Amino acid sequence: MDSSNLMTVLALAAGCTAIVWLRTGRSQPAKTLRGRLCEVGWCAALLVLAVIIVGTFQPWNLGSHRTILALPLIAGLLVVVRPRLAFGLVPAALIFLGLYGFVVARDDGFWGQQTGSYAFLPLGHYNLQYYLVLPLAYGLLFLGCWLGWRGVDRDSPAARLALGRLAVRAGPGQATGSSQATGSSQAWSLLLLPVAVMGAALLCPQLWFGGGVLGAVWTIAVLLGGVQFIRRSPDRAASLATAGLVALGAIGLVVAGSWATWPLPKTLDLYVLDGVVAVSGQTMANVAVVQAIVFIGFGLWLVPRTIPQARQLLGWASDADLIKRVQRLTESRAVAVDTAAADLRRLERDLHDGAQARLVALGMNLRAVERLIPTSPEAAIALVIEARETSARALTELRELVRGVHPPVLADRGLGDAVRALALDTPMKIETDIDLPGRLAAPVETACYFAVAEVLTNAAKHSGAKEGRISVTHADAMLRIVVTDFGVGGADPAHGTGLAGVEKRLATFDGIVAVSSPVGGPTMVVLEVPCASSLAKISSS
Amino acid sequence: MRVVVGEDLFLLRDGLVRLLEAHGFEVAAAEESAPALLAALLEHRPDVAIVDVRLPPSFTDDGLRVALQARGEVPGLPVLVLSQYVEQLYARELLADQGGGVGYLLKDRVFNDDQFIDAIRTVAGGGTVMDPEVVSKLLGRRSRDEPIGRLSAREREVLGLMAEGRSNSAIAQRLFVTEKAVSKHSTSIFAKLDLGPSDDDNRRVLAVLAYLNS
Repeated sequence: MDSSNLMTVLALAAGCTAIVWLRTGRSQPAKTLRGRLCEVGWCAALLVLAVIIVGTFQPWNLGSHRTILALPLIAGLLVVVRPRLAFGLVPAALIFLGLYGFVVARDDGFWGQQTGSYAFLPLGHYNLQYYLVLPLAYGLLFLGCWLGWRGVDRDSPAARLALGRLAVRAGPGQATGSSQATGSSQAWSLLLLPVAVMGAALLCPQLWFGGGVLGAVWTIAVLLGGVQFIRRSPDRAASLATAGLVALGAIGLVVAGSWATWPLPKTLDLYVLDGVVAVSGQTMANVAVVQAIVFIGFGLWLVPRTIPQARQLLGWASDADLIKRVQRLTESRAVAVDTAAADLRRLERDLHDGAQARLVALGMNLRAVERLIPTSPEAAIALVIEARETSARALTELRELVRGVHPPVLADRGLGDAVRALALDTPMKIETDIDLPGRLAAPVETACYFAVAEVLTNAAKHSGAKEGRISVTHADAMLRIVVTDFGVGGADPAHGTGLAGVEKRLATFDGIVAVSSPVGGPTMVVLEVPCASSLAKISSS
Repeated sequence: MRVVVGEDLFLLRDGLVRLLEAHGFEVAAAEESAPALLAALLEHRPDVAIVDVRLPPSFTDDGLRVALQARGEVPGLPVLVLSQYVEQLYARELLADQGGGVGYLLKDRVFNDDQFIDAIRTVAGGGTVMDPEVVSKLLGRRSRDEPIGRLSAREREVLGLMAEGRSNSAIAQRLFVTEKAVSKHSTSIFAKLDLGPSDDDNRRVLAVLAYLNS
């Protein structure tokens, strides 16, 4: 072991800690953006300095395991000593480097291939390295992840800088139900880098073993590409990282199985996979199994945290579609309630001003008649005639009112005959083609009836058509009404409140309205409402 | 003249029976539900039936259906259907067999007992009586059509009254003109509508209604 390296790193760590301590100990952490950027700048400068110093001592190893391992150590120290520094760069570096360092350290021989001269820690004995370095590397991995995760104040400007503005994407403003999952998955996307490094090591280990310029360029390329991918689509990066972790674990299991004495799958005997787990004996097989289980466990634990769909599949999160549906239902329910209330108000007003007033007049008339009969029977007769006419008018008004509330023919015969009756009442010659298996739900019938009435009124008013056609069909739990008029066309559903009202009424039942009205006609209005039909056959003569 | 009444509201049923008896009709039965009414119609075979559209048990159009069914079993059974509202659809169904002896009136028309009794007698005599509301709807629907558009305002008025089932003398009385003038209008209307002239009041009503309903 090269003890000077150790001394260098330890001195570096102590120095950095002291500098940061001194710098931040005197005053409260800066509150302004500029102040925070300054502090991040300090941390960044320290880390760069560390890289340069280590690289100066061993330039051929720039970017190799020593540097890489040193950085998280320093950063970890900083975080532990000054937790308030845990914004932005330091935690991010921890996440990146903790994982990356583990991989490089293993690739570089801790796992038995090139033991001895490259040992980082002064352990001396080969076996001790396994038992101490490996847990240390794992410890770094998880400590780094945990600290980074806990430490990232994801809304701080520094964190945004360090995380490549990931925090902005994951921040508030996404009011959907899965924003929580999305936010965490974006943070976990940082895992992609080490997973990519491990995967790359699996495919071409010599690149990593080679060290030097090629290795450094390769590393940088992977890191840059990874960072870019994470920035662009953190969700997918997180999903990929999770899947990668599980896959790496599975490969580790298979490779370990080829050596182990336990009942593991021994189908593969792939030394190609040495990059991930260099298994060369029972001990290593045990270690590899532990690693594989950790990877798989970690990966599976991450699945619901990084893949929103997984949360839905597991029933932990609400479906985005479901949320949209609930929103639509809320809206259409509000419309329905408003419409119903408005209808009731109109009804009350009509009754009050119409029939009710006429009955009052009737009562007064009759009282007058009572008084007139003995003295002037002729005047009384005139009043009685007036009373009769008043009662007739009241009846007419009540009839119109009832027709507006719930047309009797609809109650009697259902939608089919009610539409036929509507067609007869419309001042156009209208063919009807009605094929309904039975009665539909009463509210749907009413809504559709008034929708057709509205469409027919529009057609009669604006189209100038003399003829039209209505078809009503019910298939696959979908009621479909097509109203066609052979008029001038050019109807614009955006103008006028008629069709908008129809649309709102039908929306309560998830119905839709489509209008096709080329200039020159014909105008075709299609209403579709999902609904089941009852078995009762419509009486028809 | 024997009458069977089908009306579920006690007050109206009672009022109808009294009105009818006051005008010399013999009320053979006054039923309040559709099945009982059908049984009474088939048993008594009255000269005329007065039936409310909406009757128990389902309180929809049971009365109308019973009336149509009874006419199916007793062809030409005169039926006057009363309702709180009128539907052209129901009018069509009543007129469908072209047999005459049908009437379709709003219940309000009972107020004017003279006209109402006239209507009962017309129906009992095999004639046809349509409520003015049905007729105005029929005319309204066809008002844009060519032949009807050619009619003068007075001719349309006469056409409406003919469709209601009124005789020439009744029309003349109503419009304050001579019967001769009415008959002139009638000829002109039939020519314009391309219908064969008919002196028989009942056949004339049916022809006019069939034309308007086409």
